[in-house]
Amino acid sequence: MRSERSRFELWFLALFALVILVILPGLNAFTSAASALHVSDFTINLYGKYLCYAVLAISVDLLWGYTGLLSLGQCLFFALGGYAFGMYLMLMIGKLGQYHSNLPDFMVFLGYPRLPAHWVPFRHFWFAALAVMWVPGLVAYIFGFLAFRSRIRGVYFSILTQALTYAACLMFFRNDFTFGGNNGLTDFKFVLGYDLRSAATQRVLYLLTGVLLFATYGFCRWLTSSKFGKVQRAIRDSENRVLFSGYSTPNFKLFVFVVCAVIAGLAGALYVPQVGIINPSEMATDKSLEVIVWVAVGGRGTLIGPIIGAIVVNAIKSWATRAFPDLWLFILGGMFILVVLFLPGGIVSLPERLGELARKFRRARAAVPEPVADSAEAKPAPEPDRT
Amino acid sequence: MIKKLPKLLGVGALALSALVGSARAEDTVKVGVLHSLSGTMAISETSLRDVLLFAFDQINAQGGVLGHKIEPVVVDGASNWPLFAEKAKELLEQDKVPVVFGCWTSVSRKSVLPVFEKDNGLLFYPVQFEGEELSKDIFYTAEAVNQQAIPAVDYLLAQGVKKFYLIGTDYVYPQTTNLILYKYLLLHGVPIQNIGGGLRKGSDGKVMSAGKYVPFGYTDFQQIVADIKQFAASGDACVINTINGDSNVPFFKQIVAAGLSPSDCPVVSFSLAEDELRSMPTRNLVGELGCWTYFQSLKTPENKAFLKSWNAWLATENYPGVVKEHRVVDSPMVLSYDGVYLWKAAVEKAGSFDVDKVRKVLESGTISFDGPGGKITVQGDHYTTKNVYIGETKADGQFRILKTFDQVAGAPFILKGLGVQLAAKGM
Amino acid sequence: MNPLPRPILFLLLTLGLLTPRLLAGPGTEAEVRHDLVLTLLSHGPERHELLHQLARSGSKVAASVLTSWTRGEIYAYRTPGGKTIPVTLEEQEDAKGLARAIRIDTGAVLVDAKGKALKFDDSTLDTIDTDMRLRMDIQQAIDVLSLASPVPDERRSAAVKLGNSGKMAYLPYLEERLTEEKIADVRRTIEEAIATLKLGSSDPSVQIKAARNLARLNALGAVDVLTQFVANKSADPDALAAARIALRSIQEHISLVNFFGTLFRGVSLGSILLVVSLGLAITFGLMGVINMAHGEMIAVGAYTAYLVENIFGSGITLPFFGFGLHVPGLHATGSFYESNFIFAIPASFVTAAIAGLVLERLVIRFLYRRPLESLLATWGVSLVMQQGFRMVFGANNVQVDSPSWLLGHFSIDDVMFGYNRVFVVGFAIAIVLGTWLLLTKTPLGLLIRSVMQNRRMASCMGVRTDWVNMLTFAFGSGLAGLAGAFLSQIGNVGPSMGQTYIVDSFMVVVVGGVGSIVGTVYASLGMGSADQVLQQVLGSPVLGKIIVLCFIILFLQWKPGGLFATRSRNLD
Repeated sequence: MRSERSRFELWFLALFALVILVILPGLNAFTSAASALHVSDFTINLYGKYLCYAVLAISVDLLWGYTGLLSLGQCLFFALGGYAFGMYLMLMIGKLGQYHSNLPDFMVFLGYPRLPAHWVPFRHFWFAALAVMWVPGLVAYIFGFLAFRSRIRGVYFSILTQALTYAACLMFFRNDFTFGGNNGLTDFKFVLGYDLRSAATQRVLYLLTGVLLFATYGFCRWLTSSKFGKVQRAIRDSENRVLFSGYSTPNFKLFVFVVCAVIAGLAGALYVPQVGIINPSEMATDKSLEVIVWVAVGGRGTLIGPIIGAIVVNAIKSWATRAFPDLWLFILGGMFILVVLFLPGGIVSLPERLGELARKFRRARAAVPEPVADSAEAKPAPEPDRT
Repeated sequence: MIKKLPKLLGVGALALSALVGSARAEDTVKVGVLHSLSGTMAISETSLRDVLLFAFDQINAQGGVLGHKIEPVVVDGASNWPLFAEKAKELLEQDKVPVVFGCWTSVSRKSVLPVFEKDNGLLFYPVQFEGEELSKDIFYTAEAVNQQAIPAVDYLLAQGVKKFYLIGTDYVYPQTTNLILYKYLLLHGVPIQNIGGGLRKGSDGKVMSAGKYVPFGYTDFQQIVADIKQFAASGDACVINTINGDSNVPFFKQIVAAGLSPSDCPVVSFSLAEDELRSMPTRNLVGELGCWTYFQSLKTPENKAFLKSWNAWLATENYPGVVKEHRVVDSPMVLSYDGVYLWKAAVEKAGSFDVDKVRKVLESGTISFDGPGGKITVQGDHYTTKNVYIGETKADGQFRILKTFDQVAGAPFILKGLGVQLAAKGM
Repeated sequence: MNPLPRPILFLLLTLGLLTPRLLAGPGTEAEVRHDLVLTLLSHGPERHELLHQLARSGSKVAASVLTSWTRGEIYAYRTPGGKTIPVTLEEQEDAKGLARAIRIDTGAVLVDAKGKALKFDDSTLDTIDTDMRLRMDIQQAIDVLSLASPVPDERRSAAVKLGNSGKMAYLPYLEERLTEEKIADVRRTIEEAIATLKLGSSDPSVQIKAARNLARLNALGAVDVLTQFVANKSADPDALAAARIALRSIQEHISLVNFFGTLFRGVSLGSILLVVSLGLAITFGLMGVINMAHGEMIAVGAYTAYLVENIFGSGITLPFFGFGLHVPGLHATGSFYESNFIFAIPASFVTAAIAGLVLERLVIRFLYRRPLESLLATWGVSLVMQQGFRMVFGANNVQVDSPSWLLGHFSIDDVMFGYNRVFVVGFAIAIVLGTWLLLTKTPLGLLIRSVMQNRRMASCMGVRTDWVNMLTFAFGSGLAGLAGAFLSQIGNVGPSMGQTYIVDSFMVVVVGGVGSIVGTVYASLGMGSADQVLQQVLGSPVLGKIIVLCFIILFLQWKPGGLFATRSRNLD
């Protein structure tokens, strides 16, 4: 069963990688706009965004699905990565802004005499590229160190991460925090000298995101199947037993927490040049909850589930905000309730669940003349206590 | 349910293809509407969507634009700024609309701006803003700071007000407006200690931010109102309020509770129009001030005709999601409406929907429209010239008009100019 | 003002808030109207004299006519006979935009020969013009007139205005008024105004006396004048010294006022936090359910208050998914209408409890053993409910009027106590007391505690745990509804109002110690006070909040279980 599923997953991923990394960009670059097969720049850009979300979703899954830590603040790390790279992009605008000044626009009209000291190193691409990883990593390390040391776990951990991200969000909304306040960082023009608005640059960013996604997947697959992954899952299922077996669970958790923050930061850094804006609402708590919806819908604890979830939910969002703007929140909320109540394994578990249901149905039919089983009334299978 | 799934999918696909198919009619022109219909900004932006649909229906009933019926493509930005950029891209690249009407917040405008610049689009922006921007792709029917805050302050100074307390939500519009007003007041001889709310200075000692700021959605104004009360204890004071949306309700409830009546210390608000007043305790707020380029209570024939046909449209329309009950009209709605007609006039003069041609005509400075708020003319710099009105609130949530400033031209980048004037005076 | 229920009326009377209507000044209304017409139609210097005379009349009519005059709303109507009658137009317009005219000389509607009311468009009538000099005179007359207004608040604000005008001409008016004024608060303001004016006198002995008076009165409004006075080095040295002493004494008074003000504001904010999070302390603390839809339960309560108010009023048509549902109203007036909030409180409890009950049956009961998932599912519920509110009540915020007995404030030595803020402190005490009584003194409370402490054993003893869970959750939701009813009085009522409070209320429960009502009380009061103190010290509302949040994270390092951790040998 297990191997069959992972073989299926492998095939699926290979196909997926072919489509994402070869076919879509190929059709975008080498067919004319009039051709029926043409994939528009818009689509490429849109999928680039989805792929960033998928990377973020994997980081949440590694934390929640594999280690049992439900963080409501994962988007904080995503946004920190985004801000770090956004700062670099902001400085690359040069004199092309509204005021034709070397300073970012918002600094000009708020009367900053010169670039604040913490902005200066972000002129260098490599500094920014490293900051994308170490800034979220450091924040995660400090917070995680404090939280895990005093054995904050379960829902308390969730609520505390929520407080952290809420405080950070308020902080970034302040105009005197030197990050542009509510307007955030926007109107980017160049990255490493390439024009961000050209289709070719966007295609490269898209490809990079795709590579990051598969690299992250591969890394997480390797990590979870190693001995480390076993400890991780043991912590999820019963932390005390692991602790009593002589493992220092806080250190394990801290490591995973920091790794996930770095992954989220990388996703954020690639996200910002593709959507063209980063502002503090990206780190609001409901954004993090939305990511959790993607993971839950796709199927947590599977690594492939979050990818599917992120893409499916966001595709529905793109479509629904146009077709049924009034109903979008009903769809998102309803989807979430139904998945939590009736499909804890997410979309990935759908084939298994359907098979199970069909078997039950057949059995019920054989036993009682009146068939009563109805999918809507199916109760979730009893689950081990995961708190 | 599961068995029905393929069937449902089929129906969905059919519906989708019908949607796509209907868009292929030859004698229509697609026009983009980009507002938040869900999320926190839906409160304000849904009304703009409604008035745009009304304007399109009105134009279509008169034969459309250049013989083409307007076909609105309404998309939801969902109060999510990256989604705004995505939707703008979708409108410009997939639907290839020649014009978009939309955006409310500065951040949504900033997020779509690069998209419009890249795809050479046309955006009409209708909501009061800081005026520190010029883009070749955006036309600002909105009030610039010198079409709202400065006339209001002029009026107050003329009324003998001596002390000004500045308070706003912490984002770019209040920050810029208050900084402009701070400089403007200094230039008009108001001493620095008579400007309340606090100042924040940069490392070089220059004032970077004036006034008191609260975060979005802030609810506890006890401390601030107590502060205002002390500030206003000596009389002849007023409050310049740039608090955005939601937070105004707790702010004014606290003002009422503290017994700060408009005769003691009037509050002049720049983000509160008739639409927002519907959710305010207006009974207790009679006499507070507002400043806009349109009030529903204007008695011009253009406004009377506009209100009549708007109400008739509301009674008969059947768009999903358009609320019919307790509707009012306010300045952002009218400026949206004006934008549609300005665009129509420009298209007709250019004889084409082509963005570059339409832009050229608009920039010629000859396109104007006798809208409900009076004549509005597009300037060469994409700002607009229009009437400015000062009004005071009445118990029914409408404004009594106190003063009219005729045909004020919008001015971009006034912050810098004021700074130069101050420096010249050695301040 | 609407008639108030008798007990409240009595209370207000004893507090000295209502006074018998003051006697009108010299001159009957007819005389005043006669003078007004004379003033309006005259030209030249006699206008100045006439305005002086009007100013002394203290007449309300004079004030309103003069105010309309400065606004350009007084028109000259010429009769066919060539006489000029000053009129003003009614606000009410008919379909054609015409309004009836009110004669200034009689206060009656202007009629033609046949007795039919004449109607006008304002653009067809000539306004009686004013120039700047005249407007200043009129304004002066209006200010003096309001000094004799029957409304104490108006008298007070007029006194402040005159006092800071710097015009000695007002002094006799103020002194005359002081001899007649009965309300202590207004007397004090008039005294302040007199002293402030006298500070501008040229006689140093008068100045010294004025400064001493200002110090004695703790005149907050005089700070500006005193600061200016002190900065003027050419003044008499003795007067300067007196002014310095006065300034220092007033500033000391201000810091005292700020201290006690902050204290009270902290308690009242704490009470709001308490009211908001008590429901959560029940559902989360006792039951272990993370109800992210708690905020929406608050919104249910607030919308109920909105509905109740409209049912007492003239009814309301709700969008209701585009169908336009009409809710009929009782058209209540007077004290019955004012009492709608009293009915709204229990109604909010009941509706929110029912909503909670439904939520528990449909969703929560499947998730008792999976708290993390209850967090997720209830977040979904919260999204659905928010959109539901939008569809039912419209996307806009709705307006809930406060009953007049919750409006306004009283001051003790310049420290302001808003009635609604005092009310919430009492409300919080009542709710906590009620909850405590329910949990400790009733059979249901016993069952609740037993189930919460050991579900299985309770079940073995024959307790219907399922049933108890349902009721507990409904009770917790009902408490959230109560919070909503109160919040409708101080803030927004809208689809996303619940989101404002959700993070704060979780913080309160976690800091207080999950499962401890006492802890919730301490935590909310502590957080409320900390927030207000930091806001006062830092001068920025948001920095205080951020610091409180960071402090909470650090605090939980020290006490991971919160202030009042439930002791248990259980490891998880």
